[in-house]
Amino acid sequence: MTVLGYLANGLVFSSIIVLGSIGLSLVYSIADFANFAHGDTMTVGAYAALVTFGAVGGLGGAVLGLPYGFFLALVVGIAVAAVVAVGTEKLVYEPLDVDSIGLLITSIGIAFIYRAVIQIRFGSDFTRFGIQPLRPIESLVPYGVRVTLHDVAIVGSAVVLVAGLHVLLQYTDLGRKMRAMADNPDLARVSGIRTKRVKLWTWVIGAGLAGAGGVFLGLFNQLSPRMGFNLLLVIFAAVILGGIGSVYGAMAGGFLIGMINQLTPFFSGVVEALPIWPGWLATLLENLISIEYANAIAFVIMVAVLLVRPNGIAGEGAT
Amino acid sequence: MSLLDDPRRALSGLSRPESWVLGVSAAFALFLLAALLTGALGPTYFLFLVGLAGMYALLSFGLNAQWGFTGLINFSVAAFFGIGAYGSALMTADSSPIAGGFNPLVGLVVALVAAFVLALLIGIPTLRLRADYLAIASLGLAEVVRLIVLNERWLTNGSAGLRGIPSFFQGWPVLSTFPEAMPGLRLVVIPGTPILLETSFWRASLNVLLVLAFAGAAFLVLRRAHRSPWGRVLRTIRSDEDLARALGKNTYSFKMQSFVLGSLIMALAGVFYTHLNLYVGPGDLDPITTFYAWVAVILGGSGSNRGALFGGIVIVTIREGTRFLNDVALPIDPAPLRLLLIGVVIVAVMRYRPQGILPPQRELIWPSAVDGGGTPETPDSGVREQKGGGGDE
Repeated sequence: MTVLGYLANGLVFSSIIVLGSIGLSLVYSIADFANFAHGDTMTVGAYAALVTFGAVGGLGGAVLGLPYGFFLALVVGIAVAAVVAVGTEKLVYEPLDVDSIGLLITSIGIAFIYRAVIQIRFGSDFTRFGIQPLRPIESLVPYGVRVTLHDVAIVGSAVVLVAGLHVLLQYTDLGRKMRAMADNPDLARVSGIRTKRVKLWTWVIGAGLAGAGGVFLGLFNQLSPRMGFNLLLVIFAAVILGGIGSVYGAMAGGFLIGMINQLTPFFSGVVEALPIWPGWLATLLENLISIEYANAIAFVIMVAVLLVRPNGIAGEGAT
Repeated sequence: MSLLDDPRRALSGLSRPESWVLGVSAAFALFLLAALLTGALGPTYFLFLVGLAGMYALLSFGLNAQWGFTGLINFSVAAFFGIGAYGSALMTADSSPIAGGFNPLVGLVVALVAAFVLALLIGIPTLRLRADYLAIASLGLAEVVRLIVLNERWLTNGSAGLRGIPSFFQGWPVLSTFPEAMPGLRLVVIPGTPILLETSFWRASLNVLLVLAFAGAAFLVLRRAHRSPWGRVLRTIRSDEDLARALGKNTYSFKMQSFVLGSLIMALAGVFYTHLNLYVGPGDLDPITTFYAWVAVILGGSGSNRGALFGGIVIVTIREGTRFLNDVALPIDPAPLRLLLIGVVIVAVMRYRPQGILPPQRELIWPSAVDGGGTPETPDSGVREQKGGGGDE
């Protein structure tokens, strides 16, 4: 594959990571804890879409190689993820009388419950949406880019969702309230913002985007009960790289982490070609920068960012 | 123990959750005894479960030294457990790709040294971080360790894992041949269902002795450390790190000490697991091990060692009880059921009893310093003297 091919793959994977990381970052800043159940919220969305798609079928026509029914399933996946998250907030997080560390630990329990319920219902095996896999787009293959129409749909939908979020945050009342609350919850409350309601909307938006990310992840790879949890740390890496609490930082971080993840084989080619001296260092780098360690590289970047620049690339206070 | 000296007064002095736990434990012990006597529970398997409970208790002790004492959110328990298991397995197993065939004691030392180095490697970058960042970073680094174990085939045998691990007592003077030397016993409690005690039983009982020794040593060390001036600094850091710093303590150094101490105990659990299970694979580094230990600690009560012991037993009950349920009553796959129970336990504890079932109360105080009804005695090594002579602070 060429650089362009890796970049194209990176773009598709980044779209999924961005959808996950925005929600995580929003919840981190407004509900004020690291939500370890976020990855499993993605799984919930994906499986809800799987069930819906299985029930409604294709519904006639198709856009970008995806039947209409799939888009309906996507909407249902988003809605179910949002409803589940709001229900969890109402039933579990809100009555809790613990600090943010306690909420973090609770969210691990919630993550296990989500995953266990899905695994009991669907088994632990991999499944797929019942959609024919497409061949790569012919006209792009000569450039070494092997993307399908499905990948184009993933990127397109992600762009639409992210643009919608941007409009919401910048130009609507709710968006202003959310930004105010992320900035200073007490001040927001004093100025008459109903913080509880804003928090609920945050869950709706964050979990909805996560649900969409989950559906696309299922389309990009496969569905399995562990799919979300496996991606959770990569998403955390993206959020931390972007700066916790910053939505635009999360977008940038998600983009970068997704790219780095998919470009790892390219980097390993570069390392092999470079004249690195001494020889043992070259061998070490060649071993470490390989596809098996794509996630590990993201985690190491995450720790490095936490040490060097805990506010992330977006810096402090940028929302 | 006071329970033996004066059972009635000791019982009436228990708090409500304590008597509740005691009651449930007694009922559970009776249930297990009945199952053993009727032959429903094989004695060898029972001893394996006891060993497993001891292993989880060790893991919880280790986590307690980090989270319970100092408030470090360490989500890399599985990495230390794994490095302990792999350290000893790589030294002792026949199929080890690097060394193999050494005495298990060598494996123990190597495992502890490896865990020490890993604790420094993980601790140096992460212990300066804020609590929630520490959680995420340590979980990430634990995954890095897991990926390395999974992929570096020349070192760890990759996904095939390591087999051919000897028992811990191989090469010891008497104990290495003890299971074979013991005669096979046949106990008939209920006519018709004899209980056979054979070589495997004696081998399992040796394992139980080993874990009792490990856990007992860890318990004593931790209890002493917790009450010492050193432990007081850790507790101060947990409740208010700025205060500890204002008192002139190098909190980073204290955090590192407690992190290393806990990590070594977790590695000890890994060493024991190697010789209990006789197989080690990359699956043992799965993050679920970390969360098992966490459930045990928060359920038992953060900072409480007897709580950690209780939590360890609960974890084994959940782990093996789901398997049993699957065989007998519910046709649900045990793996997700286990996950569900763990999740429900976490949420329920945080909801209804965030301090845990047996939070540390009197165990932080020297027993002689507690008003025991009569005239309070002067403690022979009380708080004041300790403060004056605390050279290690």
